[in-house]
Amino acid sequence: MEYYSPTELNEAYALLSKYGDAAIPVAGNTFFMGHREELFDEVEAVVNIKKLGLSYIKIEDDTLKIGATTTLNELFNHEITSSGDYKIFAETVNELNINEVRNMATIGGEVCIAGEVDMPTTLLAYDANIIIGGSNGTRSVSMQDFHLGYLNTALETGEMVVEVQLPKPIENARGGFSKFERTAADLPIVNVAVRLALENDGTCKEARVSVGAATLAGVPKRSIAAEEILVNQKIDEALIEKAAVASNDVECINDFRASSELRALWVKCGVEDALKKAIAQG
Amino acid sequence: MNSINLKINGEDCPVDVKTHWSLAYVIREKIGLTGTKTGCEMGTCGSCTILMDGKPVFSCLRMAVDAEGHEWTTIEGIEGDDELHPLQQTFIDDHGMQCGYCTPGMIIAAKALLEENPEPTESEVRKAIAGHLCRCGTYVRIVKSIMNAAEIARS
Amino acid sequence: MRDETSIIGKSLPLIDGYEKVTGRLKYAGDIPPLQRMHYAKVLRSPYAHAKVVHIDTSAAEALPGVSAVITHKDEITGKKKTCNSPWHDFSFNFRGPMISQEVCYVGDEVAVVSAIDEDVAKEAIKLIEVEYEELPAIFDMEESIKPGAPQVHPWGPNALDPSVFEWGDIEEGFKEADHIIENRITMGNQQHAPLDRNSCMAHWEGDKVSIWTSTQALFWIRDAVTEFFELSPNKVRVHSTPTGGSFGLWWGNNFMFLAVALARKAKRPVRLILTRDEVMTTVKRREKPLIDAKIGIKKDGTMVSQSYRHLMDNGAYGNKFDPYQSVADIYTTKHGRAEFIGVATNLLPAGCMRGVGDLTLAYAMEQTIDMAAEKIGMDPVEFRLKNHWQTGDICHTSQEVLFAKLLFNKTPEVELTSSGLAECISKGAEKIGWKDKWKGWGKPSSVDGHKIRGVGMGISTHISGLAFFGFNGITLKVNPDGTMVLTTGIGRMGQGGDTTQAMVAAEVMGVELEDINVVDGDTEVVGHTMVTFGSNGMHMVSRATKAAAEHAKEQLLEFAAKELEANPEDLDIKNRRIYVKGTEDVGIELKELMSKPIYEYLAAPEVIGSASKGVEFHKAGKMMMADFAEIEIDTRTAQMKVIKFVAYHDSGTVVNPAVCENQVAGGYYQSMGLCTTENLVFDDETGAILNPNFMDYKVVGPMDMPDPEIYFGEVYDEDGPFGAKGIGEGVTCAVPIAISSAVYNALGVRIDPPMTPEKILDALKSKGR
Repeated sequence: MEYYSPTELNEAYALLSKYGDAAIPVAGNTFFMGHREELFDEVEAVVNIKKLGLSYIKIEDDTLKIGATTTLNELFNHEITSSGDYKIFAETVNELNINEVRNMATIGGEVCIAGEVDMPTTLLAYDANIIIGGSNGTRSVSMQDFHLGYLNTALETGEMVVEVQLPKPIENARGGFSKFERTAADLPIVNVAVRLALENDGTCKEARVSVGAATLAGVPKRSIAAEEILVNQKIDEALIEKAAVASNDVECINDFRASSELRALWVKCGVEDALKKAIAQG
Repeated sequence: MNSINLKINGEDCPVDVKTHWSLAYVIREKIGLTGTKTGCEMGTCGSCTILMDGKPVFSCLRMAVDAEGHEWTTIEGIEGDDELHPLQQTFIDDHGMQCGYCTPGMIIAAKALLEENPEPTESEVRKAIAGHLCRCGTYVRIVKSIMNAAEIARS
Repeated sequence: MRDETSIIGKSLPLIDGYEKVTGRLKYAGDIPPLQRMHYAKVLRSPYAHAKVVHIDTSAAEALPGVSAVITHKDEITGKKKTCNSPWHDFSFNFRGPMISQEVCYVGDEVAVVSAIDEDVAKEAIKLIEVEYEELPAIFDMEESIKPGAPQVHPWGPNALDPSVFEWGDIEEGFKEADHIIENRITMGNQQHAPLDRNSCMAHWEGDKVSIWTSTQALFWIRDAVTEFFELSPNKVRVHSTPTGGSFGLWWGNNFMFLAVALARKAKRPVRLILTRDEVMTTVKRREKPLIDAKIGIKKDGTMVSQSYRHLMDNGAYGNKFDPYQSVADIYTTKHGRAEFIGVATNLLPAGCMRGVGDLTLAYAMEQTIDMAAEKIGMDPVEFRLKNHWQTGDICHTSQEVLFAKLLFNKTPEVELTSSGLAECISKGAEKIGWKDKWKGWGKPSSVDGHKIRGVGMGISTHISGLAFFGFNGITLKVNPDGTMVLTTGIGRMGQGGDTTQAMVAAEVMGVELEDINVVDGDTEVVGHTMVTFGSNGMHMVSRATKAAAEHAKEQLLEFAAKELEANPEDLDIKNRRIYVKGTEDVGIELKELMSKPIYEYLAAPEVIGSASKGVEFHKAGKMMMADFAEIEIDTRTAQMKVIKFVAYHDSGTVVNPAVCENQVAGGYYQSMGLCTTENLVFDDETGAILNPNFMDYKVVGPMDMPDPEIYFGEVYDEDGPFGAKGIGEGVTCAVPIAISSAVYNALGVRIDPPMTPEKILDALKSKGR
């Protein structure tokens, strides 16, 4: 197994192209090292992408740009992602109680894992775009289209995630994140992120309800039914309850970690909790 | 093999490593600092926690080959010349341990916490060690040891 | 009679605390490698039951760096079941050959390789070609004991002969009862899940083998290796290191044999370090119970009869035929019967885990007793105060009775030395606020929106060692400066056994704890010591420790008597000084006495105290505990959380309060895991464990439970040194009872552990919530 630590993006792309599926880009190390026994026979080249200048959080052209190798704790601590329009990032990170992992894991890694992690759920609710880089330049794929299935993404051979972009939220946007686990230091069993854009009179102009970890698809899914209930309505407790009930349009997985019935209940509760958090932001 | 120079507890440690070797493995097996424990090798127990430039990370999830250019601190590197670190002393005095296997990781995580937040609340202490298991169930006295060390450091 | 003590009763720091906080303490995997040492890896069966019809190791053997490969073809088969105590077999998960051609559970050993490093060993494992012929596998205890069921393993029947205890006339007893309550319980599969991954290093020099491993069972490992490899004890030296938690896991295991055999074949030292997955799926788990309980009571709440049929899932190699304890005696009845049947399945072997037997049987008993109390509308606290076990009662189901029968064909009576249950029950009830919170059976203590609270309680007991664990040979040597060295074979698994044994010695010798070094864990150096389990350390082993110290003290006083021109019996030691009782200013410092030449010998004295003591079994000291819980069910999310937990325990004299509190807290956290998130999940189809790691086998962490409130009812035990009984294991036993009964009172539904949100959801639905 070869190790490369390129300092130029093109160098990294060339390595990824050369080794194809046998190359793995790493930054935080947590996924690769956590699965090294299974990956040992498949991976021929480990490409460290941490020296490519991809650790940053900035706003340019009204767009929030987060470099792929930015760690979860950098998101938690950064002014831009811990307050104001984007504080959902810090709130999402705060629900992961394992400080050591927060110091290592990166947003790019979480986006690519696509499964039992928190950040993609939030990114889906915030209509994030994933910027993919490769030898032929960069392209943008919406979070919704990026995940094809469990551990399966829109990345083509020779490509990697270089940045996560968020359009500026509509005014009066509020977010909420909630999570259910078995113990306080666990994989999420259910996570829910919501984003609401409210008119001055409290009418909901736009709603996103995103459900992760629990879905049959293995990747975060929007509850369109819940969103439809919220849009163009004034949000009160009764409506929240109705939206929560409607979130059963997201099919839940049944496995040894939790039954699909329990996950469905927790999705409902999670939607309720996340919406209440969003509204409470006021 | 990749030749790297690890800086651990202020010392240079030149070592040859394979790509898939974890930093925990190299620290224990190649450098011989066995105070860093490896209970799960997948980032789920906390016993391998060490400091990377002062911040706690799981050394079992860190590729050794990617460890150059940082200052690493293990449990062996936190004592003073003649006395124990206040955390080490309070863990002894307050019985913040039973079998002792989680102890180095707990102390390292607590050290990072106290440096960032010298006056933590009990729930902040618990959150700082949330990724650490103590199978002996010593949490009551581990938390007490950390709170007392914080108090000693302040006075 | 309570002793006046200066060391016993103090929360003195652990004597190995410094090593632990500095990372210097060496667990087995931390021992520096020996010269030329190779590393081992194991090829394990992917099938629950299969025959290895073909195995080709040639490619592995040809791989550069590989020193040895062992398969079933090596036919390494020890002598079987020849030792005096069948316990040796249990500890090693009894099987015939070290590697069998017939693999009996997923994870069973198929081959083992040693190589220059772990990477090469792993590669070699992948190069071994195996062809299996699948055999029918059984995963269910009741299926396993049906007539005509396929055999789980090639030796012995699926069900062991039942162990039966009977007293009075059980049928008569039930005739006398006004109410008969029947109940069936089971539990999940808890695993010990210590943080440390154990390792075994073996090294042969000629015909002599040395072994380094973390264990609580030093001499058993020596005896097992001695017997398996047909060696004299003179040829086997076992070095035991502290365990990074054990809880019953690290007695002995086949993996140690693998290292020993590989080292012999490779002609070099070999170390086998288990992976996390192997720790969880190839050593042991707590045996899963299936218990049918039947209890007869009078209208006034007097228990008259009790009977239990306890099936234990032994897995593929467990060999238990009784749950090893005496819990059925926690309530005294005239008539009783207890039947224990160990059943084999093609699953991970099962065996003892902290609180073994008492945890499972007490749970069955206590749930059934709650049902009985409910039938007559009696408060559970009142019921228990009326019926509980008391000092001087007979231990009908004591394992010692069973062993007396097995070894000598006699049926003796064993009497209980002390019981603090009355205090534990009544005071514990006060601490939890029972009077205010108990609203009747199946009734919540409070309802606040979707949050329902309930209280529950339970009692249990556990042994403080068992006599047949063996003799204890202890020495105490006094150095020229008055410091001392205690040699003991006590296991170090976090229970502070080395510290508390040293405290006993220091107390007798009138010195400080820091004056005593403990040397442990070497079969060539220390005397035979009981395997450290069954909470025997303080109640049994320390009898020998105390006697060895008294022997040393006797010698010291004799030397001092000459020096002080006094009678030895007029002297005593305090604060490192020997003095004349009554005239304390006449005396001599220990240091001076030990360093000063005596005229007759022209040399300073040498003092070694020693004692070898067995324990007479006719009296049994057992710890007692009453636990109380207040829990809250969120009917919205189907989650349960603990609001308050009170543990009121009687372990006799509390030798080191901090150590004992840590033990009680640890038992609470572990049993809370059993109650909530800890459960090995076996795949229905394959028998493989789906959650072999901390990612999915969820151990309770620092944010998950409130701290328990811990109290001790210190009843002085006349048999225990300084009045002490055991503590380490029993701390887990009553927790599931209290939690399950609190859940019942909150929901009106009985749920067995693990009480998962899924089960709570089902319960809520059954109640139309």
